[in-house]
Amino acid sequence: MVLKLIKQVIKVGEATVLYPFTPVEVAPGFRGRPQHDPALCISCAACVQACPSNALTMETDPDRGIQTWGIFYGRCIYCARCEEVCPTGSIQLSHDFELAVMNKADLYERADYRLAACRRCGTLFAPAKEIEYVLALLEQAGLSGQTLAERRSLLELCPSCKRKMDLHKMVSLYQEADE
Amino acid sequence: MTGKNGRNADGMSEDQYAIHSDAQAGQLKALLLKDIKRSVFVYRIDCGGCNGCEIEIFAAITPIFDAERFGIRVVSSPRHADILLYTGSMTRSMRLPALRAYHAAPDPKICVAYGACGCSGGIFHDLYGVWGGADKFIPIDAYIPGCPPTPPATIYGFAMALGLLSQKLKATHHVEGEDECVQPRHPQVPLDLRIAVEREARRMAGYWHGKRIAETFLDFIEPNDEQGAAQKIQVYLAQQDDPRLAEIFGKLQEVWTTHAQGR
Repeated sequence: MVLKLIKQVIKVGEATVLYPFTPVEVAPGFRGRPQHDPALCISCAACVQACPSNALTMETDPDRGIQTWGIFYGRCIYCARCEEVCPTGSIQLSHDFELAVMNKADLYERADYRLAACRRCGTLFAPAKEIEYVLALLEQAGLSGQTLAERRSLLELCPSCKRKMDLHKMVSLYQEADE
Repeated sequence: MTGKNGRNADGMSEDQYAIHSDAQAGQLKALLLKDIKRSVFVYRIDCGGCNGCEIEIFAAITPIFDAERFGIRVVSSPRHADILLYTGSMTRSMRLPALRAYHAAPDPKICVAYGACGCSGGIFHDLYGVWGGADKFIPIDAYIPGCPPTPPATIYGFAMALGLLSQKLKATHHVEGEDECVQPRHPQVPLDLRIAVEREARRMAGYWHGKRIAETFLDFIEPNDEQGAAQKIQVYLAQQDDPRLAEIFGKLQEVWTTHAQGR
C-alpha cells in the first residue's frame, strides 16, 4: 500500500514551481504592467478617457506650456482598455508582474509633452505632437500640397479662433446669397 | 463614528486608536528585517474588497506556489502576526476594525497594502463609502499592486517586504525631446481598409485580442502583392496552429478582398 503510494508520488513528480529562484512562466495573454513608450506617445489622452479606474491622468500646466501624462500602477486594474484605444501603440500591456515597491512614489510614471500655441491668439490648446500626427494621418489619407497646407493652417488654430473664423465665413456666405 | 462623549460602540475613545510612531518598535523592525532567520506569520484584513485578493492569497499557499516553504503562514489572529496584509479599499465601516487589528499585532510588525484597492482605493477610490487605500490610516511598509496580484506577484511582494529580493520598479519622468515625431502605423494600408479590418477583428475577438489580431493582420497586407501576402498568412497560421485565429484571419481576408474589389 505505502509502496504503491510512494511509486505514485515519484511518478507525479514535484508540482511546486521554483519561483522566485527561477523565473516563472507567464501564460500567453497574461495582462501585466502597461508599458508606456513616451517617444511614441502623442499625448492625445484617449487612454485617460478610457481608463475605468483613473490610474491614467493628464494634467495641463499652462505656465510652463506642458501637458503631463501620468500612470499610477497602484490603481491600475490591467483591463487593457488603454492599449485598445491607443492610436500609435505607445501603451502596451507587458508580462511584467513584479511591481511590489517599498516606496509609493515608485508606482508613478510621468511624461511631459509640449503644448502648441494658437497661430492667431497665442493660447495653448493642444499637444504639438498630436497636431503633427493628425497632419501625417491626413497625408496618409491622400491629402497633399495646397489642401494639406490649408488643413495645417486650420489645425494650428485654437477652438475659439476656429469658431470665429467660421463665423466670418458664414457671414460672407449669407451676404453673397443676399446680393 | 463617535458619540457625544467621544466614545464609539466599543466604549473606546478615538484617541486610543491613534497610531504613534515608536522609536523602539522601529529599531526592532529594522533588526528583524536586517537578517530575518525565522518564519513570518501573515494576518489578512479585508477592509472591503471583492474577495479576489483573498482567492489569490490562498492560491499562493497552495502546493503549486507554496509560500509555506519560506515559512510564510496565514494565521487567524492578529496577535500571532508579523505581517498585516490589508486588502480591499478602506471602507468607512472597516476603518476601526483595521486599526484594532493593527494595535492587536505585536511589534515589530510589517504592514502591506495588497492589490489595487489596498494600495490606493483602486477602481472604488471615489465611492462615497470608500476612504481610499490602507495607507490613509495605517503606516504601510510595502505595496503589492495588481488586480488581483497573481500568486508569483504575492510571493515576490512578501520577499521584497522582508528584504530578501530587491525592488524592480522605479519612478520615471520623461520629458519630450526636441525632434520627437510619430508617424502613423501601416502606411501601406489605405485608411478605410484599416478601419474595416480593425472593426471586424474587434467584432470577432473582443476589444483587446481583436486589436492585437488586427495589428498582426495589417502587418501582412501588401496592396500590390495579394498573392504573396496570402502565402505569408498561410505560413503564419500554420505556425500558430489555432483554428479560432484561422477563422478570424479568413474573415479579415474577405474584408480585404471586398475592399480591393471596391476600388
